Amino acid sequence: MEDGMKNGWVKLAVQGVMSDAIPNSDSQVVILQDEQKTQTLPIWVGTAEGTAIRMALEGVIPPRPLSHDLIRNLTEQLGLKISKVVVTDVQNNTYYASISLSGRPSELTVDARPSDAIALAVRAGSPIYAAQDVLDRLAPENVAPWLKLLGTKDFGGTV
Amino acid sequence: MFDPYTNAYIIILRDDGNAEMLPIWVGKPEASAISFAMEGVATPRPMTHDLMKNVLDTADAKVISVVISDLKDNTYYARVHLLYDDSEYSIDARPSDAIALALRAKTPIFVNDDVIRKHSSEEMDRWLENLKPEDFGKFDA
Repeated sequence: MEDGMKNGWVKLAVQGVMSDAIPNSDSQVVILQDEQKTQTLPIWVGTAEGTAIRMALEGVIPPRPLSHDLIRNLTEQLGLKISKVVVTDVQNNTYYASISLSGRPSELTVDARPSDAIALAVRAGSPIYAAQDVLDRLAPENVAPWLKLLGTKDFGGTV
Repeated sequence: MFDPYTNAYIIILRDDGNAEMLPIWVGKPEASAISFAMEGVATPRPMTHDLMKNVLDTADAKVISVVISDLKDNTYYARVHLLYDDSEYSIDARPSDAIALALRAKTPIFVNDDVIRKHSSEEMDRWLENLKPEDFGKFDA
């Protein structure tokens, strides 16, 4: 938590996953918010990744391990822990994330898409952070429509 | 390959001598993960199985092989074999994930003999189940 402050990171929680507002869109939107619910980060993800996140939020245990279950199982078996995931940057509308692994003498970080990072974090119970800079660069008009939908019945997988 | 009857994709595995063949039905995201790797498509950002491999690479864990290990009630089971810190690990996986990872890690894919045998017998069972009385009719008059 302390290093989070130092690096200008904000701890976020997944509020839910919903379909994109554009009809027939192949993407879903993951809504992340800080503890005070004053900062909101919407992240567009593919259907497969959106479903992977939603299933973990809803506590669905699939009969066979899905791709992100396998990544978590691989790391667990090797004695590694997903200590946190961080949405680190946004460039040309592409968000970047990193996954931190502890269990070795030094912490390891792996580059990832936010969708995979979040799908892993919700399975491993790891905290999710975003760089304050990423949140600062969000245009309010991109966040407002999702805020309106928060807590409505259109909003799937509310935590 | 796309299977229009089940709306799913089929991965065809063959042995070196082309003597044995094993079709495995997988979902769309897993099918694209496999075909991307086969066609050498480089994506701008790491896809899920690229991440899987990157996590293992970063931790210095090596994929030795993947094995399609069992077939029960039409469900295939696979195991990913890893070498990490001089120890071997074997982790349960779906064949689709195991194959997508093997293609990226350039490791061999094995199929247990039993699976090939069971596959042939389950296929026979399905064929028998689908037989209708009228299928016999034409022979018994």
